[in-house]
Amino acid sequence: MDFARPKRMLYFWIDKIGNVLFRLSWHLVHAIIYLCYFTMAMLHGLESHLISRGLLRKYKYLHISKINYLAIVIESEEACRTSNVIQLLLWVATLGINHICLYDNEGILKKSKDVILDKFDGAILFQDTHENNMLLDQPCMTLEFVSFSDGKEAVARAANVLLMKYIKSRAAGSNQGEQIFSESEMSEALKTVGSGGPEPDLLLIYGPARCHLGFPAWRIRYTEIQHMGPLKSLKYGSLIKALYRYTTNLQIWYGNKQVKCSAVLPWKTVNLGKSNRTPSIHGDS
Amino acid sequence: MLFSLHFSPPPVIAPLPFKPLSHVPHYHHTLNMLPSTHVLKPPLCSTMEHFTLNHHGKGGGEEEEEEEEEEVDQTLPLGLRREAMPRHVAVIMDGNRRWARSRDLPVRSGYEAGARSLRTIVELCCKWGIKVLSVFAFSSDNWFRPKVEVELLMSLFERGMQEDTSIFLRENIRISVIGDLAKLPEALQELILNLEETTKNNTHFQLIVAVSYSGQYDVVQACQRLALKAKHGLVEPGDIDTSLIEQELETNCSEFPHPDLLIRTSGEFRISNFMLWQLAYTELFFAQSLWPDFGEAELLKALLAFQQRRRRYGG
Repeated sequence: MDFARPKRMLYFWIDKIGNVLFRLSWHLVHAIIYLCYFTMAMLHGLESHLISRGLLRKYKYLHISKINYLAIVIESEEACRTSNVIQLLLWVATLGINHICLYDNEGILKKSKDVILDKFDGAILFQDTHENNMLLDQPCMTLEFVSFSDGKEAVARAANVLLMKYIKSRAAGSNQGEQIFSESEMSEALKTVGSGGPEPDLLLIYGPARCHLGFPAWRIRYTEIQHMGPLKSLKYGSLIKALYRYTTNLQIWYGNKQVKCSAVLPWKTVNLGKSNRTPSIHGDS
Repeated sequence: MLFSLHFSPPPVIAPLPFKPLSHVPHYHHTLNMLPSTHVLKPPLCSTMEHFTLNHHGKGGGEEEEEEEEEEVDQTLPLGLRREAMPRHVAVIMDGNRRWARSRDLPVRSGYEAGARSLRTIVELCCKWGIKVLSVFAFSSDNWFRPKVEVELLMSLFERGMQEDTSIFLRENIRISVIGDLAKLPEALQELILNLEETTKNNTHFQLIVAVSYSGQYDVVQACQRLALKAKHGLVEPGDIDTSLIEQELETNCSEFPHPDLLIRTSGEFRISNFMLWQLAYTELFFAQSLWPDFGEAELLKALLAFQQRRRRYGG
């Protein structure tokens, strides 16, 4: 008796049914995952809306004085969205953060700096002639515009400055031993070439990729970095959440020194509960 | 930290009792259905062997069915695509002491647990096709920690390197150590030099250990090297540019000096003076777990997030 043909038929149908069931379960799993992410996105949007309205209690108070210098990185493709940039700066300024560095890789924001500065009364352009400690005492808003040329290229220019100094000192007969340059000398050289701004406390990245896109690396040793998503999806609630997360971080490392922040310090706080409307570019507060 | 590595042989796949499943879409094709703006969650189970079958899209009777070509990737977990794996992953191994404190254990236990985590991650990277792993083992700022703790770490480094030399040779792993090694104990310096020399021709995988390292130090020492070259007439003043500096950075010991992905554990959102120059376009992944708890599932999550996100590079 030949059982080969029925056996083959049996395997064939097992194969077919197995394939169908497998594919169904595969699609089901992915549908569930898709739903989870969809739900998370909706919840995130809802949370952002509630924060904007001041309805979530824990986000009502921000210890803004912990943010002396804020850096904002924007992907160059989105940096031309000047209105979004201005909206973001308005929100940041309304929250009491006055010293801001704007970065995009290709320098598009630098080209728009006049337009941006015009929107803020009394805002001044950050100049390297300001000592960093004097900068932070400025009562008015200061804006710094940087690009790739202020990052790696600036380090190369600073290295050339240091090299010239080294050659001159050798010609004068001084012997520096093995330690020709130091980190502090590099910092000074960066100021000399016009790229020696302060180290930001917090760096917000607006763009699809979670990388800082070449922001002057010398300045972000201990900077907290948060990715905010694309600039076109700018949300006030997301900004508040990012600032809240930074300001409530209990451990702030700075080199070997750990500064533990406690609630008893008399920080300047911003009460978001009074305003139930998001500050807008049209002057509402 | 300890480098005791134990590599298990790849699992054997038993032959199927019937013909392979056909008309099953590629796993990665199906994953592309997910919205690209969301981070993909790791699968519910960890590493599992799976079959990636060709989708020929045709039916037919048993006589007409061709032999389906079966690709069996035994080493990659569900969802990961080998062609999209990062070539160089960097890790800031943070959280060893907090891990120990949370369990009322001495600090030593935290570092030893961290070493076991490193062992696991190295093994996984080797298996999953990552070519270079850089780990931030000891920062130049860490010299300010209590002397007892620093000595403990130095002894752990020394012991780990001694114990695992044979494994590095057997598994074709190249070891490179970057940082200001002059500050290390002389015995450890000698051990490092011997280990680097012994493994320099290994090509399967490279482990870069950053000890007494800081990103600013790396840039400054690159400039110093260029200054010495200028002293010998090899470089003209004014000729220093970004590419010359890149060639002198300590990560130039690697075929892939720039990390594609940086993972930092323990929930901190900063790079803490690690590879400042090299991380300009590196995807950043901040994991909540402490380093001793960072294992296969967490690494898988980081790699899946890396593969899902759109990556852009500067001009």
